[in-house]
Amino acid sequence: MTTLASQTKYKNTQKTKDRIISIFIGFFALAWLFPIAWTIWSSLRPYNDVIANGVFSVPKTLNFDNYYNAIRLMKLPMYLTNSMLITVPAVLLTLGFGSLIAFVVSRYSFKFNVALLLFFTAGNLLPQQLVFIPLFKMYLWIGDLFGNRALLYDSILGVVLIHVAFQLGFATFVLSSYLKTIPKEISESAMVDGASVWVHYTQIILPLLRPPLASLAVLMSTWIYNDFFWALVLMKSDSKRPITSALARLQGEFVTDFNLLAAGAIVAALPTLIVFIVLRKQFVSGLTLGSTKG
Amino acid sequence: MMSDQNNGISRRSVLKGAAVGGLGIAAGGSLLAGCGSKDVGPMKWGGRGLEESSVQWHEAVKTAYETATGNTVTLNMNDANAFQNNLSQYLQGTPDDGFDWMAGYRMQFYADQGLLEDVSSVWDEIGDQFAESYKIASTGSDGKQYFLPTSWYPWGLHYRKSTMTELGLDPENIATWDDFMKMLEATKKKGLIGYALGDKGGWEAMGTFDILNARINGYQFHVDLLAGKEKWTDAKVAEVFKYFEMMIPYMNKNVLDISWEGMRDLLLQKKCGAMMMGSWFSGDFKTLSQADYDDLWIVPFPEINPEHGRDTIDAPIDGLCVAANGENTEGGKELVKWLASKDGMQARLDSGNTFTSANNGQDTSSYDPFQKQQLAVMGEAKYITQFLDRDTRQDFANPVVAPAIQNFLRAPKDINKILESVQAQWDALPAL
Amino acid sequence: MTSTATNTPVRRRRAFSRKDRLTLTAFVGIPTAFHVLLVWVPAIGTIGLSFTFWSGIHISDIKWAGFENYNNIFTGTPVFWDAIQNNVIWLLWFGLIATPLGILLAYQIDRQIRGHRFYESAFFVPVVLSLAVTGIIWNFMLQPGGFVQGIMGRDISNPISIYGNYDINTYVILGIASWRHIGYIMLLYLSGLKSVDPSLKEAAAIDGATEWQTFRKVILPTMKPVNIIIIVITVIDSLRAFDIVYMIYGSSTGWPILGILVFQNISGGGMSMKGAAYAVILFALCIGPMITYLKQSFAEDVK
Repeated sequence: MTTLASQTKYKNTQKTKDRIISIFIGFFALAWLFPIAWTIWSSLRPYNDVIANGVFSVPKTLNFDNYYNAIRLMKLPMYLTNSMLITVPAVLLTLGFGSLIAFVVSRYSFKFNVALLLFFTAGNLLPQQLVFIPLFKMYLWIGDLFGNRALLYDSILGVVLIHVAFQLGFATFVLSSYLKTIPKEISESAMVDGASVWVHYTQIILPLLRPPLASLAVLMSTWIYNDFFWALVLMKSDSKRPITSALARLQGEFVTDFNLLAAGAIVAALPTLIVFIVLRKQFVSGLTLGSTKG
Repeated sequence: MMSDQNNGISRRSVLKGAAVGGLGIAAGGSLLAGCGSKDVGPMKWGGRGLEESSVQWHEAVKTAYETATGNTVTLNMNDANAFQNNLSQYLQGTPDDGFDWMAGYRMQFYADQGLLEDVSSVWDEIGDQFAESYKIASTGSDGKQYFLPTSWYPWGLHYRKSTMTELGLDPENIATWDDFMKMLEATKKKGLIGYALGDKGGWEAMGTFDILNARINGYQFHVDLLAGKEKWTDAKVAEVFKYFEMMIPYMNKNVLDISWEGMRDLLLQKKCGAMMMGSWFSGDFKTLSQADYDDLWIVPFPEINPEHGRDTIDAPIDGLCVAANGENTEGGKELVKWLASKDGMQARLDSGNTFTSANNGQDTSSYDPFQKQQLAVMGEAKYITQFLDRDTRQDFANPVVAPAIQNFLRAPKDINKILESVQAQWDALPAL
Repeated sequence: MTSTATNTPVRRRRAFSRKDRLTLTAFVGIPTAFHVLLVWVPAIGTIGLSFTFWSGIHISDIKWAGFENYNNIFTGTPVFWDAIQNNVIWLLWFGLIATPLGILLAYQIDRQIRGHRFYESAFFVPVVLSLAVTGIIWNFMLQPGGFVQGIMGRDISNPISIYGNYDINTYVILGIASWRHIGYIMLLYLSGLKSVDPSLKEAAAIDGATEWQTFRKVILPTMKPVNIIIIVITVIDSLRAFDIVYMIYGSSTGWPILGILVFQNISGGGMSMKGAAYAVILFALCIGPMITYLKQSFAEDVK
């Protein structure tokens, strides 16, 4: 049968084409990773070796000295701790608040539902710099209200709060999209059974939200951990800075010893890289929920 | 549209000072009038500059202070650029009590805004340790002092003695512009970069502009230009850029790719002849090796116009301020008083830092040859300027002049258009 | 039990208990108050401030300026137009090259060609790196004495000018930006593709359509919601671009772009409300895409 023959022929040409495509893309994928590989490679070489023998020389030694020195000299543990102190509470608060709004907006029909969602989503798209000047003044003013100027400015709390405020939109949007896919019957039977709003939320909805919460947690931790702007402008004490603003500082401090700097950069990038490798599926599904309707 | 009342003071006043102090020990300097250290509670010191050499001397001086007075100090080091960019927020928020800062317009602006603490009382106590011109440079527009000078450094031609010997050149004896050009030519012939320049940050080339303007048109014109009293479209300014353009063939090809660190690295790695820079980076040479540091030398930029000779130099003054919003302003004053005094300066010298002290009570006999040469270079000049971005409005220096010079370096033929644009943007600045 | 003919709101059937009303108010009120206070109030504040002269320090110093800041920007600041030009170039690059590449990648990976799992991760890694790390990595690659210069045989004394060379620096910057952007778009599209009904593709294959035809006529239309999101993200990210340029040039305008102009004018002693005006202009340019995004996402909800 000619159809079968032509189908097979089509399949075979497609297979060859696919192989070529795969190789082509493979080449690019390797090129994509090359800069990172180069940085890791450089971080394993001592600076003096590179200076003496050139960038492409075969290394006399490869060691982890740069890493050891980076962790020690760059005070990396302190900065990483600050990053954690900012990221973890910020993610928890954002997901918590987001789930509250998503819950109300998708399980109950209020007139303001759509407006509220619109509001939050739009807020997420605002550029950070649009907000900075009055925010700074506001932080000081609120601090003064409570008698402590450093309550929000130059404090971990202040940075956490602004992250929460900004990320709330995305979290709300994703969670409410997800909730739309959950049949209304579950909620309705709960309400018929006389469950209070609180019980409805904590015992019925929240457990169902585990998948998107997990994905969002992964996405948001990466974004917040990687943020550069807020800690740069809202913090003055070096000892409170997270790793990303600290790296900018380290670039100035160790500008001549770039092999050391490379090691520092890799250490700083490790948390997000590890999260990505281990929890890749959550990443993907987190983005899914944000980009399409379920 | 522009009020220039704020710009007049520090420059003309520094002019009044004759040879600005530092050479020799002032006669009859009564030392710290029996100032027993008061116990004023813990203080915070904001340090600027994260290079290894900088962190090192800050820590050494802090320890010395604590030992000498029994007070405790928390040191908070900052990246210089980030610190400068965020100073406004820093001072309004929760600043350290004392912090490193610069003299000039940058200091006066914040003093005018009430963000700096009046330190006239400190001047009353230790003012005799500084030459008159320093006091004038530390004075705000209201006649009170807001700044304690600690160090200063000249902008001049830096080079490696060994390189120059190899090339058979003698930079110390360059008298005129032609000699200078010959030197650049000779350097280039030998395969090195004649005049290293890195202007990625936008401000580095201002050093070259400042000195060319001062050499060609004189101190007064330079000052007036920055205050808006002269026009950028004046033929005199175009003249400056003509000379600037003459140097371009002898510069490295990637001027706009590298910032001052790149310039420094070119000299560190012996790839260039001369470099116009402030001497603050000398510590980095010492970090590399003592031999490299010994190889470093500086001379003033050559004369161009005999009418002006070599009478002007950019010699920015760095020092200390006390923040008005600090928690412990009294402590801050005590801290900066000690830091700026002979004892503080000596502690810094002892830590190996290669700066030149503004304190005239300083025992300069322990200065190494390079430090003494810096003093000589500064001492030769009659007029001192603070560097373009400290001598003019902040919303003009970096947003307007810096890109203008970068555009010039990219396309020297466009200079007339560029200057017209600079003048137009100056005219459009809102009144202060 | 519920009538399916009409969308009977629950509230009609019974009133909420007082406790419930309190809970609901708290659930909605607290996060909203937060969001409004920290995002919307300052945003509106900045918009207002763009019409004033102010150094940012004492509130009493605020002076009304009308449209003076905007006038200054549009007529008196040539670098503004350079920045807009660069933003447009960025947009064209992202829109015509980077995003389509991401989509193409996603499509091929979705077809599960060999090695697709590895490719998926490889292209996405740059996205999880922070700006600071990305900056260090690329500065490393491009600096005098680094890899790229080394390959071309140049050492630090006669390097090729990259960042300062107006002919090539644009492409270098866009290249680095694409390094991240392509992976991001790829993953977004990929996740959307996963929800496309595979039977559609099979049907098309049986009908003898080539891959390209299948993509154009079957996949693309089904992905309309994702397409719109991708377009909006591409536009907004091109307008908001800041990070990569900041990491290379700091706050100088070596390669001007709107985001840098905002930052340059709100930081340092030269802070002026011109910075606020720049931010508002940036925001205004983003409004169109934002509204498109919102309309698309809430199309069904808004009657």
